[in-house]
Amino acid sequence: MTDQSTNIFGNLEELEVKLSRTRSWGGIETENSYGPADPADPDYAEKLGDPGSFPFTRGAYPKMYRSRMWTLRNIVGYGAPEDTREGLEKVLSSGGNGINIVVDPLTTQSIDPDHPAFGPEVGLEGCSLPTSNDIDRLLHGVDLSRIDTAWHWAAMAYPMVAAVHVKRGQPLATLQGSNMPDMLQETLSGWGERLVPTMLGHKMTVDEIEFSVRNSPRWALGMPQAYDLRERGLTSAGEIALGMAFINKTMEDLIARGLSVDEVAPSLAWVSTSDIDFFEEVAKFRALRRFWAMTMKDRFGAQDVRSMRLRVACHTSGKSLVYKQPLNNLTRTAIQGFAALCGGVQSLEVCTFDEPVCVPTHEARDLAIRQQQILANEVGAARVADPLGGSWYVEALTDAVEADAKAMLERIEQIGLLTAISDGTIEKMMDDHNLKMQRELDDGERIMVGVNRFVPEEEPAPTRFTFDRTNTEKHVRRFMELKQTRDQNRWRDALRSVHDVAKSGGNPIGAMIDAFVADASVGEVWGSVRVAHGLAYDPYNALEAPLDYAN
Amino acid sequence: MGAMADRVLTGDRRAAGRLISEAERREPQALQDLGILYQHGGHARTIGITGPPGAGKSTLVDALITCFRKQALTVAVAAVDPSSPISQGAVLGDRVRMMRHADDDGVLVRSMATRGALGGLSTAVGDAITIFDAMGFDIIIVETVGVGQSETDVVGHCEAVILLQTALGGDDIQAIKAGVLEIADLIVVNKKSAPGSDRMARFLRESLHDRPARPDGWTIPVLMTEASEDIGIDALVDALMQRFDHNGAEDRVSVTRRRQVAAHLMALADVEIRSLTQRLVSGRAAPEAWQAVLERRSDPWTLSAQLFEQLR
Amino acid sequence: MQTETQETPAGNSQPVRCLLGMLGTDVHSKGIRTIAQLLRDAGIEVIYLGEHNSVKGMARAAVDEDADLVGLSFSSAAYVTYTRQLIEEMNRIGAGDIPVMLGGIIHPDDHAELRTMGVRGIFGAGSTTDEIVAFVQSMGRSR
Repeated sequence: MTDQSTNIFGNLEELEVKLSRTRSWGGIETENSYGPADPADPDYAEKLGDPGSFPFTRGAYPKMYRSRMWTLRNIVGYGAPEDTREGLEKVLSSGGNGINIVVDPLTTQSIDPDHPAFGPEVGLEGCSLPTSNDIDRLLHGVDLSRIDTAWHWAAMAYPMVAAVHVKRGQPLATLQGSNMPDMLQETLSGWGERLVPTMLGHKMTVDEIEFSVRNSPRWALGMPQAYDLRERGLTSAGEIALGMAFINKTMEDLIARGLSVDEVAPSLAWVSTSDIDFFEEVAKFRALRRFWAMTMKDRFGAQDVRSMRLRVACHTSGKSLVYKQPLNNLTRTAIQGFAALCGGVQSLEVCTFDEPVCVPTHEARDLAIRQQQILANEVGAARVADPLGGSWYVEALTDAVEADAKAMLERIEQIGLLTAISDGTIEKMMDDHNLKMQRELDDGERIMVGVNRFVPEEEPAPTRFTFDRTNTEKHVRRFMELKQTRDQNRWRDALRSVHDVAKSGGNPIGAMIDAFVADASVGEVWGSVRVAHGLAYDPYNALEAPLDYAN
Repeated sequence: MGAMADRVLTGDRRAAGRLISEAERREPQALQDLGILYQHGGHARTIGITGPPGAGKSTLVDALITCFRKQALTVAVAAVDPSSPISQGAVLGDRVRMMRHADDDGVLVRSMATRGALGGLSTAVGDAITIFDAMGFDIIIVETVGVGQSETDVVGHCEAVILLQTALGGDDIQAIKAGVLEIADLIVVNKKSAPGSDRMARFLRESLHDRPARPDGWTIPVLMTEASEDIGIDALVDALMQRFDHNGAEDRVSVTRRRQVAAHLMALADVEIRSLTQRLVSGRAAPEAWQAVLERRSDPWTLSAQLFEQLR
Repeated sequence: MQTETQETPAGNSQPVRCLLGMLGTDVHSKGIRTIAQLLRDAGIEVIYLGEHNSVKGMARAAVDEDADLVGLSFSSAAYVTYTRQLIEEMNRIGAGDIPVMLGGIIHPDDHAELRTMGVRGIFGAGSTTDEIVAFVQSMGRSR
C-alpha cells in the first residue's frame, strides 16, 4: 500500500461535500425552503408539512442539504481485495466521499472462491471477500469506528465486518457503517427458494436487525432493499408497496422479540432507485416518506421523530440505461440523479454510463462523480428543500403514487407477505409487469431511444473494463492456504456453535461473528446455517459439509 | 426396423427423448418402436400425481425423487404443463423445482405440454411410460397439470394415483366433493403447516369412510406432507410401497394392469377415432358418403354407424 | 367448435421446443423470464430451467427434453467460459448437434470466438423480440 493511499483513507472525514452557494446562478438569494401563502391551511399541515416536520413529505430535515450534504457514493468492487482497494483510492481522489463496496456474486451468495463450479466468476463482477481477513486487507488502516463503510451486500456483510472490528480489539458498540440485511429481496431477485428459502431468508433478516440494533446501534441497515425489487419489475408505487410490506412484517417480528419501533426504525434507511420519469420519481420519494411516517406513527405507535423521519439511500436505475450509444446514458443518469435530489435523498450513487456494458471503467466512474458535483455546485439541486413542492402536477402525482401503493400493499397483506413470496404471487406480479413493459416496447407504445427508436446503425464496440487476474489467482491460493493453516479446533467449534444456535431456533449472528473471527469462510458459515435448517450444505450440491455437526 | 427401440433399450437417453417427440407426432415408425419396447416393459412401478394448481405437485415429485434415490431406485418423470390455448406455445417450468437432481444419472425428467387435442396428451404420456419402463427405470412418476377429466385419463396409466390437496384456497373441499376422489389411490394433504390442514385431513377420512369399499380391497390412506421440507415423505413412500405390494398380489395384478392398459388403449383409440372423423368431416375420407349427408340423401346416424361397423 | 383448419393429433406439426436457462451464479433472470413468455406467445414450447444450472445438468436436460435448441442468458462476464464448457459437455454426451443461442450482455468483441465454438445465435442488448422469435422458429424440426 502506498503512503498516498493511506493518506486518502485517513482524511476521509474531511472529504464531505459542503453546499458551495445558496444564491442562484444569477445571484438571487434563496431561502431554506418555500411554502404556501397560507401555512395554516390544515390540508397542508396534514399531507405535506414543512421540510423536516411530520409527515416529512417535503423532506427529512428543515434545511435539507444546507445542513447536511448528501453522501456522494460510487460503488467499487472487482478482483481481489488489493484490486478493489486500488479502485477505492481512485474514487476518493476524484472526490467521492464514501467507501462503498460491492462484492462478487459468489461472496454475495456465500459461495467460497474455491467452489469447483464457479472458478471463472471469482472477482469478476465485484470484490471477492470470503473471509474476515480479506475485509481486513481491503480496509487496512480504515478505522471502522470513525469511517463509514457501506456494503452492497446482504446479511453476511454485517457479521463479517463486525468480526474484523472485534479482531482489531474494538467493541461492537462503536462499529459504524451499513449493509443491506434484506434477504427476502434476494429470494425474489433470482436467488429463489433454492438459495434462500423464504422463511429462512426472513428469519436471517430479523436476526441480523435484532442483533445489530441491540449491539451496534451506530450501524445502519439498508432495509428494505427496494432497489433490487424495483429493478426486478415494479412500478414506483409497487416499490413503496412491497417495501412497506417487508418493513411491516419485519417490524412485527422484531416487536414480538421484545424490541420497540423506536429502537429499530431509526437504524433503518430505505434503499431506493431513481428511474427515468423525472416527475414520477420525485413524487415517489415524497409519497414514500409520507407513507413511512404515517405507518410508523399510526401502525406501530412510534414516539421518536427519528422513527418517523425516513432516510433514503438512492442508486439510480441500472435497467433504465441503454446499451446502444451508451453516452446517452449520461443524459439519463443526470436527470435521474437530479430527481433523487429534488426528492430529498440522503445518499446518491449515480450509475456509470457504461453500466449496460460491463463493470464500470475508471473513466466512466470519474464522470459519474463529476455529474454529481455538477448537480451540487452548478445546477443548484441542493440549494432549496423540496423545490418542486406545491407544483400542482407533482402534488397530484405524489397522491396518485401513494394511493396505488396503498391498494397494492393491501392486496399483498391480505395474502400475507411470506405466502405471497413462497407461492409465487409476487414473482408473477413482477413478471407480468416486465412482460407488459416489453410488449409496449415491441408495439412502439413506449419509446426508448436506442432500444426501439432512434437506433444507431453501426457503432464501434464499447470499451469494456478489464483488469489483471493475477491478484485474484493469488487471492484464491491464499484462501486455500488459510483453510490449512487456521486453528482447526477453534474453527470447528465455532462452526458447530453456529449450527447449534441456528438449529435451536436462536439468533445465530453472534456465533457467526465468532466463526468469522476464527477464520471460517463465508461459505462455511452460511453452509452451517443451511444444514441447521435442514438444507444441503451447498445449494449447488457440489460440496459436502467440511465437518460433522454432531458433537 | 426398430433401430430407435434398440437404442432406447441400451439406455440411450437421446434416442428416448427423440422417440417421445416422434410418438407425440404419431409418426408411424415410432409406433413400431413403441410396440417393440412395450414387450420389454412391465417392471417399473408407476405413480400418478394430480391435484389443483398450487398444491405443490412438482415439489412433491422432487421430494419423492430424493427419497427413492436414497433407496438406490432410478426415477423417470413425465411432468405436464398446459399449452396456451391461443398460441399453442407453453412455458414448461416443472424442472426448476427438481433441480437438485439435475446432475443425477439415475433421474430423467421429461416436460410435456398438453397441446390441446383431446386424448393426445394421455396417449403421449402412456407412450412415455412405455419408453421409460423399457429403459429399466424403477419408478415412473407422472405429474399432471391440475384436476379434471383429462387429468383423470392421464393418471389412469399409473398403478398408484396420488391426489394432492392443500387447505389453502377455500373451495377445495367443494372440488373434492365433485368427484376427484374417484381416481385417487392415496390422498395427500400438502403444506400441512397451513391452517385448516388437520380439519381437511379429517374431512377427507370421514368422506372416504362413508363410501363403499373398493372392489380391489384397497383402503385409501390420507397422509400429510410438507413437501418443500421433505416432511412426511418417508411415510408417503411407505404407503406407495404398500400400494405396490397390494397390486402385486396374484389375484389383483390383473385388476391394476387392466386399468393401465385400458387407459392407454382408450387414449390411443380416442386419438385414432378423432383423427378418422376429422378426415371424414374435412371431406378427405369417404367424400361421397360425407357429401350424401350434406345433401340429406344420407344422415349422420347412418354415417356414424357405417364408420364404426367393424368395431361393433 | 372444431374447425376444419385445426390440426389433428395425428398431424405432423410440433411446436419448437426451446430450452432456456442460465449458468453460474448469475441471478439476473428477469430478461429470460420475459423472453420465455414472449416465446410461449409465439407458439414455442419453452422448457424453462431458470437460474443456477450446472453445465452437466443443462446438457442433460437438452437431451432428455429433446430440445430443438438451447438458449442461454448471461449478464455476467463469464459467459465465454461457461458457454464453452456447455458446448463441450453437449458434444461429450452426443448432443453437439443441438444449436445454442446466447442472450443478455454479450460484448461484440466476443462474437467471433463464440461463433467459432459453435454458437448459432447471439442476441445481445438491442436485439428485438421479433428477431429472437424468428430465429427460434427457424431452429424447428427442419434441422
